[in-house]
Amino acid sequence: MAVKRDRTRLAVLLGPVSLFLGICFIGPLVVMIIFSFLEPGLYGGVEWNFYHWNFGRILGWADGEWEDFDWVYAEIFGRSARLAFINVLITLAICYPAALWVRGLPRRWRMFVVFLITLPFFVSLVVRLFAWVLILRPTGFLNYGLVGLGVIEEPLDLIFTETAVLIGMAYVLLPFMFLPVYASVEKLDRSLVEVSSDLGASSFQTFCRVTVPLTLPGIAAGSVLVFIPSLGNFIVPDLLGGAKVLMIGNLIEQQFLSARNWPFGAALSVMMMAVMFLLILIYLRRIGRMQTRP
Amino acid sequence: MSKILRKIGVATGVAALGIVGILATQPASAEGQLNVYNWGDYINPDVLTRFTEDTGIEVTLDTYGTNEEMLAKIQAGATGYDIVFPSVHMRDIMQKLGLLYDAKVNTLPGFENIDPIAKRSSVDPESSYCLPYAWGAVGIFYNKAEAGELTSWEDFFALPDKGKKITMLDDLRETIGVALIMNGHSVNTADSDALKQAEAWLLERKDKISAFTYDIVPLVQAGDIAAAHWYVGATLYTIQEPDRLGFVIPKEGATMYQEDICILETAPNKESAIRFFEFYMQPEIAALNTLQQVNGTANVPARDLLPDELKNNPNTNPPPDVMAKLQIFVDLADDLRKYNRVWTKVRTAQ
Repeated sequence: MAVKRDRTRLAVLLGPVSLFLGICFIGPLVVMIIFSFLEPGLYGGVEWNFYHWNFGRILGWADGEWEDFDWVYAEIFGRSARLAFINVLITLAICYPAALWVRGLPRRWRMFVVFLITLPFFVSLVVRLFAWVLILRPTGFLNYGLVGLGVIEEPLDLIFTETAVLIGMAYVLLPFMFLPVYASVEKLDRSLVEVSSDLGASSFQTFCRVTVPLTLPGIAAGSVLVFIPSLGNFIVPDLLGGAKVLMIGNLIEQQFLSARNWPFGAALSVMMMAVMFLLILIYLRRIGRMQTRP
Repeated sequence: MSKILRKIGVATGVAALGIVGILATQPASAEGQLNVYNWGDYINPDVLTRFTEDTGIEVTLDTYGTNEEMLAKIQAGATGYDIVFPSVHMRDIMQKLGLLYDAKVNTLPGFENIDPIAKRSSVDPESSYCLPYAWGAVGIFYNKAEAGELTSWEDFFALPDKGKKITMLDDLRETIGVALIMNGHSVNTADSDALKQAEAWLLERKDKISAFTYDIVPLVQAGDIAAAHWYVGATLYTIQEPDRLGFVIPKEGATMYQEDICILETAPNKESAIRFFEFYMQPEIAALNTLQQVNGTANVPARDLLPDELKNNPNTNPPPDVMAKLQIFVDLADDLRKYNRVWTKVRTAQ
């Protein structure tokens, strides 16, 4: 009897979220996978015929015709993964020390700082990125300041470069790294750190052997949360990279908004998801194993 | 197999339409309403205000960024819009897809004001479906202090060698179009060899091009970018600061665009839309719009109502020999994929 009531309660509680995920997450995903196996419609959309050349096109074998093969799509994929990985390292390098610092603040200040971190979400992303264009351009605020201070003689050539894309992506995704890292840093039991130093470990040893392993779940969660949107991002490379730093997200956008080849865009998305899924699976397994290690 | 797929397709389609229906918050299609779906900043707001004052018809305005975006939305079943502003090649596609309503535009009073040359559609040569709206060249917008005076694409691509920055449009047809023009091909070619040549030509210059972007006006004004491949709309800025900024239609030739105003087959307020056509064909209204948009108008008497700086401007109102060098895009159908691949390669190259 009690079991039955529990089940009903569970169903009622989980119903809305399952329905939401079913419609807004699984639904589009299924549409995307189906579309990736359909023939592209002449004017966008799809023809309802099975068509596997969308995947062939990625290897240069398009529409059953051998175009001259090159690594163009693999190159784009590799570049996206590289930039996304660097972005994870940058955000981690900024957020981890920041999280440790915030933990040391008095309680009410901590809440305020966390609020500040989420503040940029109140302003449209495009507006914030355009502000970065104005900061990074040769006559922009950054160069104006640096030249004024005598740090550099000639303005730095930053806008429309890979560096600009990295700055922009790190800026946009910083909160996604900070929040999970901070959550696990805050939970860290201080007495463990004290015990470690009481037993004679240097602060570096304590950091490597106690603090980092105990906050690893936060680091892992933050890395995944930053890596995935970095990989698919297309607004930052467009605005700050001058569309010259082509990432997988731009390539997909191009299929839908200018090339009218929806199935190819869907096929690229499916490929990207598959690779990402695999990488994250391996990563999480590793993390899981590290945590269960005695 | 395909039958099953079709069923799933219908099911997802119905679901999608349902969602669109729930989310759509269009006002009721009461009398005296006109729902405009236009490019961003592509009509003088005063024109719409005047229309409401003259006719009592309330106007709503929604915007899009590309032809494809608008087509995708209409194809996905978005309803409630009355008029759209597609480029000529896109309105041809939309007409072929049965998305447009035959408004018999050429029988409406005021149509005699429309320049016959602006009837550019290949599927509707007499302009029965749509009203030619505005057109313009795509050339070079430049900062005179940085770039000096420019007259050609040759000058434009010589700038990076002098340490100046240039940008081109983030648009596959426009930018590949320039490469095709420079190699003596039509901007609508489907010939693989011509496209290969254009690709090689662009790849040689990839290092010189700082960016592919539309958002360039403040950077050219500040001199961060010396010259940019941009629309004739830049005249808005060049007439304000003629000593500092310039726009030129390069002598090798360039592309041009034209948009038409069309009524959708699904339009809930077709009468209001036709009233808008009649309203817009009045020369003073077309001139009012051109004054703010600084592009070319299809309305011949309207051109005489413009101030000298626009009427006698070789960019907004080019002489016949320049007009002859402007090419307009036609729909490429399947061959667009060849362009897509060239564009991907050009953007990927390091």
